[in-house]
Formats: sequence, C-alpha cells, structure tokens
Amino acid sequence: MSIRPILRLWPFAGAVLLSVFFAGVAAQAAPVPKVIRIGTLYADSGPFATSSQSQLQGLRFWVNDANREGGVYVKAYGRKIPVKLITYNDRSSTTIAATLYNQLITQDHVDILAADFGSVLTSVAVPIAQEHKMLLFDQTGTGANFFTPGNPYIVLTSLPTSAEWPYALADFLKAQTQIRRVALLYATNDFTGSQAQTLRRRLQGSHVKLVFDHGVPTSTSSYALLLHNVQAARPDAVIEFGYPNNDIAFLHDLQASGMKFKMVFTIFPGQLFALMKSSVGVQTLAYTYTYPTPPLLVYNKVNYGMGLDRFKEAFRKANGKNPNFLNIAGFNTGLIIQKTLDVAPSLDQLALRRSIVDFSGKLHTLNGTFKIDTATGAQIGETLPVGQFIPGSRGLTVRMLYPPDLAAGKPVYPAP
Amino acid sequence: MPRGGWYSVGVVLLFALLPFVYGNHALLFNMMMYLVLAQGINVLFGFTGYLPFGYVGFFGAGAYGASLAILLVHLPPVPALFVGAAVSVLVALLLAPLLRLSGAYFAIASLAASEVVYYIVSNPHLVSLTQGPYGISLAQVYNSGASYATMVVVLAMALAAVVYLRNSHMGLALQAIREEPISAGFAGINVVRERTRAWLLSAALAGLAGGAYAWHVSVFYPKSVFDLNISVFAIVFTLFGGVATLVGPIVGTLLLYGLYNWIGISQPEYFQLVFGIVIVLLVLFLPNGLVSLLRRAKIHVP
Repeated sequence: MSIRPILRLWPFAGAVLLSVFFAGVAAQAAPVPKVIRIGTLYADSGPFATSSQSQLQGLRFWVNDANREGGVYVKAYGRKIPVKLITYNDRSSTTIAATLYNQLITQDHVDILAADFGSVLTSVAVPIAQEHKMLLFDQTGTGANFFTPGNPYIVLTSLPTSAEWPYALADFLKAQTQIRRVALLYATNDFTGSQAQTLRRRLQGSHVKLVFDHGVPTSTSSYALLLHNVQAARPDAVIEFGYPNNDIAFLHDLQASGMKFKMVFTIFPGQLFALMKSSVGVQTLAYTYTYPTPPLLVYNKVNYGMGLDRFKEAFRKANGKNPNFLNIAGFNTGLIIQKTLDVAPSLDQLALRRSIVDFSGKLHTLNGTFKIDTATGAQIGETLPVGQFIPGSRGLTVRMLYPPDLAAGKPVYPAP
Repeated sequence: MPRGGWYSVGVVLLFALLPFVYGNHALLFNMMMYLVLAQGINVLFGFTGYLPFGYVGFFGAGAYGASLAILLVHLPPVPALFVGAAVSVLVALLLAPLLRLSGAYFAIASLAASEVVYYIVSNPHLVSLTQGPYGISLAQVYNSGASYATMVVVLAMALAAVVYLRNSHMGLALQAIREEPISAGFAGINVVRERTRAWLLSAALAGLAGGAYAWHVSVFYPKSVFDLNISVFAIVFTLFGGVATLVGPIVGTLLLYGLYNWIGISQPEYFQLVFGIVIVLLVLFLPNGLVSLLRRAKIHVP
C-alpha cells in the first residue's frame, strides 16, 4: 500500500484535530456567568415618570422574587443563575434614552434588553436593538410601526399594539341597539390616534354613527368648551381616548360642568385605578366605562408565575401598596424573560426569539395569554375587554361587559 | 491653514476615529450633534448677539424636511439632508422679520416661532404630508454607520463655517454689528444683509444636524425633534465654553455633555444637583465662558 494517499489525508485530519482543540478551548472559555444581566431604562422625571417608575417597580419585584429562589433557570447553562438588573435614568428624553440603550448594549454587555415605558421611549430602542442584534423585550411600547416582518429583534410582552385596543369596544358599541350616535374625542398622538382610527374603521357600515370626531393636542388640560360641543351633537355614548392627564382633565371638567351623558368611556381608570380614583373621585368614575386590566381584571387560567391574588399580597408586602397595571406589566415582562431563559438552548438573541415563538400562545400569566404574531413580534394574545364601574357598598367595582366570554352582567345604560 | 483650522481637523478626526475604540456610538453621535448646534448658536449669538431660544425649530424643520424627502420623494438620505437644510433655511427666511427685535424680545419670539413650526408639523390634519403627531419611521433607510459618518461631515462643515467667520470680513462685520449696529452701518456694513446671512447659515447648520439625527434614530415623534431641551442644551454648552470663538463651544460641549452623560450614567441620583451647581458657578464666576480663563492668561483663543 502506498503511503501517498495517507499523506494526502493529513491536512484534513489536522484540520479536524484543530477544530476539536479550538472547540474545547471555546467551551472552556465560556464559563457559566455569575449573573444574568438585564438592562432597562426608567424615567424619574418628565411626562413618563409616573408610568415608567411603576413599570420598573414591577420588573424589580420579579428580579427580587427570582433571586430569592436562587435565580432563574437558564437552559443554556443547565442551572439556576441569579439575575442582575442594570438601570439608567433617561428622564423621559428620547435623546438621552438612545445614549443609554447603547450604553447597556455596548458597555454593560447586558444579556437581556428591556425597553422603558410607552411608545415614545421605546421608539429609539427599536433601531438600536436591531442594529446590535439584541432582542428587545418591549414592555408597553405599543406603536404599530415598531413591528415589521423584517425585524426579528423585538417582542411586545405586556400589551397588545395600540391599534388593537378598541376591538372589543367597537364590537360592544355595535352590540348595543340603543347606541346609535357616538362622540369620539381623542388626543392626537400615536397611542390614542391609532385607537381612534381603529374605532372609526370598525364602526363603519354599522348602525353606529360618529356624530362628533375631534382630535386635541396631548397637552390639552381643559375640556370644558369641547364638552359643550360634544353635548350639542347629542351622542348616545362619549368615547374619550387620552393619556392619564387627558382622562383626568376630561373627567374633572365633565363633573364640573354638570353634564350627563348616557355612556362615557375613558382608558386609564382601568389601568391606573388608584390614581384616577384619587384624582377625580369615586362619584365621577361611577357608571363610566373603561378597558379593565389586571388587577381589576382577573385571569383564572394562569399556568406560569403567581396568580393575581398571590401577586397582590406579595407585592403589598414588598412595597407597602397595592399594585397597579403597570406594576403587573413590569412583572409580566420578567415572567416572559424567565420563561425564555428556561427554554432557550443558548443566549443567542435569535435563539431567544425562536424560543418565544415556540411557547407563544401556550403561556398564561396573571396578565392574560402571552401570544405574539410570529412574523412581527407584536402581542396578540392579551385583549382589552370593556367594563363598567358600578358603585356599591364596597366602593366601586368593575363589571365585565364584553366580550361575551368574560361578561359578568349587563351594562347600566343609560348611566343614572 | 487659517487660524483654528487645525483645531477643527483635530476634532473631526477625533470623532471619525473614536468609534473604533469606544462602543457607545449614540453618545458620540449626540455629542457631535450638540457640537454642530452649539456652533450654530455661536454663529448667531456669538457673532451677532441674537440669542435664539427657539433654535430647535430649525433642527426639527431639518429633521422633518429630510425625512419627508426620503418618504415622499424617495431621495437617498444624503441628498435628503440638504433638502432638510433647505427647509430650515426657508423657515428662517419666513422668520427673518424677527431680527427686527432684539434681546429678550427676540429670544421669546424665536421660542414662540419654533412652537408654531412644531404645531404645524404635528397637526393631525396634515397626516398625509407630515404624519401629524404620529411620528416618522425611516426604518427602510436606517444605517447607523452611514448616518454617523454623515454627522462627522456635517460637523466638519459647521466648524469650517466658524473658522471662516473667525477669519473673514463677514465675521468682523458681524461682530461690529453685534457691538454697535448703527456705527457699523455708518462704516459701510450692510447690517440687515449680514445679519440675515448669519441667521440663514445658523439655520442651515441646525437643519443639517436635524436631518442627520432623523436618519440616525430613524423612528421619532414631533416632540422628540422639537424638544425645547435641545435648544437649552446647545445654548448652555455654547455659553459654558465661550461665544464668538471656535474653541469655546467645542470645549463647552465636550466637557459639559461629557459630564452630563458621566453623571447621568454613573450617578443619576446626583445629576440635577451637580449639573445645577456647575451652571450656577459658571454664571457667577465665568460669565464669559471657560475660554475667558485662557484670555486672562493672555493665551490666544481661536
């Protein structure tokens, strides 16, 4: 047998040996990290401070809870690892936020990136995360244009995109035969403007007609004159879409004007109930309608993380106050991160996204069903039902009205 | 090389090379953006004495001008930047009568004018043109590296403009107007024309910076690019360094924006306290900016 063929194989054999050697070195060079670093931003001042801090409080509560158990299970390393939360203060500024998101990625080298509250502060994170190939856990940034099939580096965790919010509301209005004339008043920003657009579209062709349709600047703080215009249109229902400051000003002015409408809908009493109650009073909220969210809305089908009652008790113990929706949204983001790390075979960001797609639709938390549009990463599982505040001996309670599978009674219409 | 030229080359090279050794490119980009805006303020306030609180109006107009050129006319981003600058210059031309005011009246009027531009751009009835209050998405042309390189070029243009003013008759004429406009007029300087040229140049620089910013962030809302804080920061950085010089706004921006980010990242809880103390100390002890220290030491400041 000639030795020549064997000599010809030497380079291949050498390459295989080298590969095995370097693979071994690489395996040794990637030790189990001491902590999983989660980076996020918050605002301690500016227009988003209240909401942002509530959301961070929820996420921090999850971190503390997970670390009490020794950390979260990370499948990529086959063991539990403590979680470290790295936070910076963006002071509600998109320019500062852009710098700080970069800081988290390029200097702190976080393993997981979570966005600050809302669409405005999330908007700058979307291209940065995509550029650095980091999966962005978008907590409450619901702007529809963040979610495109070409960008796999984003997942919306705790709310549906804002354009989907009024689906149940529109269907509810169409189901009420007494409601034929609707007044729509909305703040002109991405969040509420897209809701107004959806409501308009979904009411088209039905017996419900928009008899008043008016956008106002988000900075509007007086609705007195507008309410007279609304009254002149003689609506059967008044829908006001705004941020908390808009809803508070609207409800204040409605109360002060002494006007009565058969149905009044606002967004934030269902999310920030304690704040709205202290700002406008129980009497003003009575018989108004809203999108109830946890903790006002209880999902019983929870198969991951604490149920609502346990969460409320633990949160109260840790923070000395009842949780609001944004606390739950932050906590829910933590749960989604936990589940992702639990099942992802590596910390590669696209592997994280693939794992999320795998458990999408199967995860039921205290915030509802977590299900994403697998093409865009937008949230489609969590829905926003319609409820009405009913006064009683124990104060205000929320009666679920729509969709039918969640309904717990009929609306009090017209409002007394 | 004209006086100050080497400083400009050094600064431009610094920002061209820094990305290779420092990863937070957004911080570097924003620092360049504020350098351009500070030099824009310098052109106007330093050389003519007009302090434009509403300077952000030109920045926002540039951001929207460039974005709409990309979205509606499908121009590539770099030519679109010049459309943004042209839109800013157009806005400045419309607002040129404000130059008939002076001092605090001009500052407040320019602020009101920038709010007017903001409300026009964010008007819901203009959704089909400007996207109204719902923001702009340039995701299809997003290119962090190219937009960074473009901002380096814009920075070079801004510094070149100030070097020109520091070494030209136009700069001298503007400073003469700033000190005593009537005497300058008697000396043969066309006061209205020179002021207007400085006003338009300043607007063009802000427009270019706005366009590059829009391209770099790619998703933004009207409030983000018409944010009054942008004007305030640019003015503070300029005053901190010292006006009517090339070096003053550079030093002011590098030090103060560096400090701003260092505190904001490492000690956010002390941010407002430290930043506030620095500003108060500046106003009390160095009203003419840091470069006045050099001048006191008889050191020439370009």
